[in-house]
Amino acid sequence: MSVPLQPADLDDTLRADVRRLLLALADTKRILGIRYSDWLLGAPSLEAGIAASGMAQDEWGHARLLYALLKDFGEDPVPVEHDREPEAYVSCDALDVPAEDWADVVALIAVVDSALTVVLEAFSEGRYAPAGARAGKMIAEEAFHGDMARAWVRSLAGGTSESRARIADACNSRLPRTLAWMAPDDDAAARLAEAGIMPTTDELLERFADRHANMFAAAGVQVPAPNREGWDAARGRGPGHPGLEAVERARGDLNRELFVE
Amino acid sequence: MPVLDVGLPAHVSVHKSGGRDLWSEPMAAAPEDPVAAAWACLHEVLDPEIPISLVDLGLIYGVAVENGVVRVDLTFTATACPCMEFIREDVTDRLSQESWVQSVDIHEVWDPSWTTDRITEEGRALLRTLGVGVA
Repeated sequence: MSVPLQPADLDDTLRADVRRLLLALADTKRILGIRYSDWLLGAPSLEAGIAASGMAQDEWGHARLLYALLKDFGEDPVPVEHDREPEAYVSCDALDVPAEDWADVVALIAVVDSALTVVLEAFSEGRYAPAGARAGKMIAEEAFHGDMARAWVRSLAGGTSESRARIADACNSRLPRTLAWMAPDDDAAARLAEAGIMPTTDELLERFADRHANMFAAAGVQVPAPNREGWDAARGRGPGHPGLEAVERARGDLNRELFVE
Repeated sequence: MPVLDVGLPAHVSVHKSGGRDLWSEPMAAAPEDPVAAAWACLHEVLDPEIPISLVDLGLIYGVAVENGVVRVDLTFTATACPCMEFIREDVTDRLSQESWVQSVDIHEVWDPSWTTDRITEEGRALLRTLGVGVA
């Protein structure tokens, strides 16, 4: 078994790579929570809205734990959470715009949430010790999100021809950029793999396909190749950024005067 | 605080954050076994949502005492637990009322993850009286 790595064991380059990975996970969970929260009311059923509420809270709970891991690098997570501009967010590109309808929400769960969990599990299994110490509870809570994704993809795929086409379109539009975010193919990703902190790019893609191909196949969707066009290696995501409205909510701008931390 | 008379166990009707109404008076002298004493204090701190002890809920992973500093390894039932600050405050306040406690050092722990398996038999019995079944 390989030796666990503590934050102090990382050189500056690898530390920056781990920081990018932490931010990618935390920012994606923060923005995903906002996208879910848009559907607390207005989901197809009250139960579905309650599930969206629970998932939104989970994602924000996870984001809080992940941002807190920046303390291991001597970094205060408060300004990271509350002061960054939208351009600094490393959230998955597929979340840059809100979900259009419930099928789009289901696609977010099936595609983005699933990809997040693949990354988080891989991170927790790697050599970076603080990830392993925090991820177990998050992964356990994510099991319910996976159940939700499979149930709703199956339901929409087995509904009308319109619902089947809609869930297929939504998944097809979210998958390519999400896979590029999930499995970067750049120097930082190569260094993390070399250090045993993360699997290789190909391994991550294989994990996602192995675990979720059947879910997507139920909707007539094949897991595609990643779309890496315009990849921004400095940030670790594709071009663009989440909209200001979502970031203002993520930062808590309206409540800034009330901060008590 | 108004007392509800709806047939619930007595401690429920007087429950405030952390069950403060039920906390013992501070010990008269420093205990011979400060770790056991700290556990006893923590046993009096109730979860803010379900009125059973944090100890019986299985949220306390460890206690150590050195030179009056009590270190508490604490977890939560969920990553988005809305009561984290209440719980931290209740733990700190209960221990700090003891003259032999100089400070309280809470360490948040997530490994191993909390599950219902960590609830003690006493906690399960109490939950049953509240109509909550735990497998």
